Amino acid sequence: MSKTRVQFTDDDFIAGLRTGNNEILNVLYKKYYNIVLKFIVNNSGTEEAARDIYQETVIVLYENAQKPGFELNCQLQTYIYSVAKRLWLKQLKKNGKTFLFKDDAENEVVDVSSDMNEYLDKETEIEKMNQSLAELGEPCATLINDFYVHRLSMDDIADKFGYTNADNAKNQKYKCLQRLKKYFFENHNRTLETEKEKNESDRFI
Amino acid sequence: MRATDLFDNYLNNSLNSEEKADFEQRLANDKSFEHAFNQHRVLLDTLNLSAKRANFKNKLKAIHENEYGKSSRIIPLSENFARSFGKTAAVAATTALIAVLSTIAILSAGGYLLKQQNTQLSELNRKVLQLEASSDAIVSGITKPKIVYAPANLEGSAFALNNKGYIITSYHMVSGADSIFIRNTSTERTLAHIILGDPTLDLAILKINDSSLVKNWQVPFVLKEKTTDVGEKVFTLGYPRKDMVYGEGSLSSLSGYFNDTAMYQISIPVNPGNSGGPLLDDNGNVIGVIRGKLTSSEATGFAVKANEIIRSINAMANDSSKKDLLAQGKKSSLKNMKRSEQIKKINPYVFNVLVYKKE
Repeated sequence: MSKTRVQFTDDDFIAGLRTGNNEILNVLYKKYYNIVLKFIVNNSGTEEAARDIYQETVIVLYENAQKPGFELNCQLQTYIYSVAKRLWLKQLKKNGKTFLFKDDAENEVVDVSSDMNEYLDKETEIEKMNQSLAELGEPCATLINDFYVHRLSMDDIADKFGYTNADNAKNQKYKCLQRLKKYFFENHNRTLETEKEKNESDRFI
Repeated sequence: MRATDLFDNYLNNSLNSEEKADFEQRLANDKSFEHAFNQHRVLLDTLNLSAKRANFKNKLKAIHENEYGKSSRIIPLSENFARSFGKTAAVAATTALIAVLSTIAILSAGGYLLKQQNTQLSELNRKVLQLEASSDAIVSGITKPKIVYAPANLEGSAFALNNKGYIITSYHMVSGADSIFIRNTSTERTLAHIILGDPTLDLAILKINDSSLVKNWQVPFVLKEKTTDVGEKVFTLGYPRKDMVYGEGSLSSLSGYFNDTAMYQISIPVNPGNSGGPLLDDNGNVIGVIRGKLTSSEATGFAVKANEIIRSINAMANDSSKKDLLAQGKKSSLKNMKRSEQIKKINPYVFNVLVYKKE
């Protein structure tokens, strides 16, 4: 705790987020947490809710900071406060508890709609994806992630999942991917047929 | 070449200039091709963004926990684990614990997003529980027991398929294992190896390496091919702890998670470590293998149906091994016995599986 505090400017923070500087992220996180905590707790939220909302807020900031044209039009603190406030209001709305929302004039608010909406839209997609992956089950979900996210080679995948060769693994990945597409784009309208198909097509070794 | 491979190659920039031109030409002229490609791209973008967000959130969680502490423990600790691990093993395990916890953090980041309307199937191995236990062993400074085995990376349950030394367990536990041991009160810790694996049903067949150990085996139960009815009383035996634990309930549905017809839903509270254990009916027939539970509900378990096991073995095994694998007794010798008597008979044929793998 005796460490000397380095003072970062808002620009330092944004630049740090862009380059993925963990130390700067660390300082940023601690610097603004209390503002959000105070706001949420004063608006009938728990500490845990504050943590979750704050983390989402930092993600919004992080993702927007990655964009080449991103420019902060206000103080970083105002930006963070505004996003957190909107996210919390949305959550209260969802639970039908808007009446619990106290608007305080203490902090200035800026319009963060476009930054936020993009985050929320993507979040919906991700939820849909997670649902589809859960539906897809194992080993398909891991296989798809290993290939498309972790970029493992088919040989490595064959090795990891116990397929006899890379071609075999590739076939399996193909089947998994087709199913994932089905779940993801057909909005989980599974029919008995796909169920049957799933049981048939995935039997291997 | 499949369209998806073509898409991948295009996105990875691994087409030559001619192929690339052809591809773009086709995109421009073929609406359905373009549509398929766009879907492919959206899917992969979402996958990658999801991983990226989870990753970043994981970082934030670490910062938060470091500064403000953890608000709650992930899984409660049962004491008897701590006793069986030595100090050295515990230190090694702590490193692993950190790795595991960070994985969990990623998973739970995903879980947070889902928790409103979705529940996930959790696979019931004892990984975390155990690692937490062994790290707690450091804290309490427990002295070494006589024989110290390194703690397994994963533990679960298994049971004998027949008198020939074949054992059924969950695929997710043993896949990629460096070594697999089984043990119970009548069998000392002994090596086994994978014979067959069916990732789709999450089934693996193991064989005990030392065939002399199974000479006197008389497996009292058989796999029951006929589907069991909803409402029937069922029970399971497994190793969520070092000692075998009995659980009973009833068959609640003929389909499992997401209407999977290969599974039963059961009302037995199953715990980490139950994966791979047998599901038996009142007469001591094996009607399934415990696979997992709903994360959202304590008393909703799932088991792969016995007829699916037989079907899977039939599909996987070659003709010569099939006979050996499917050699079953005529019928369960446990009918009309008191439950406690049944369990005594079954006990030697249900195992604790210890799996070692490189992470």
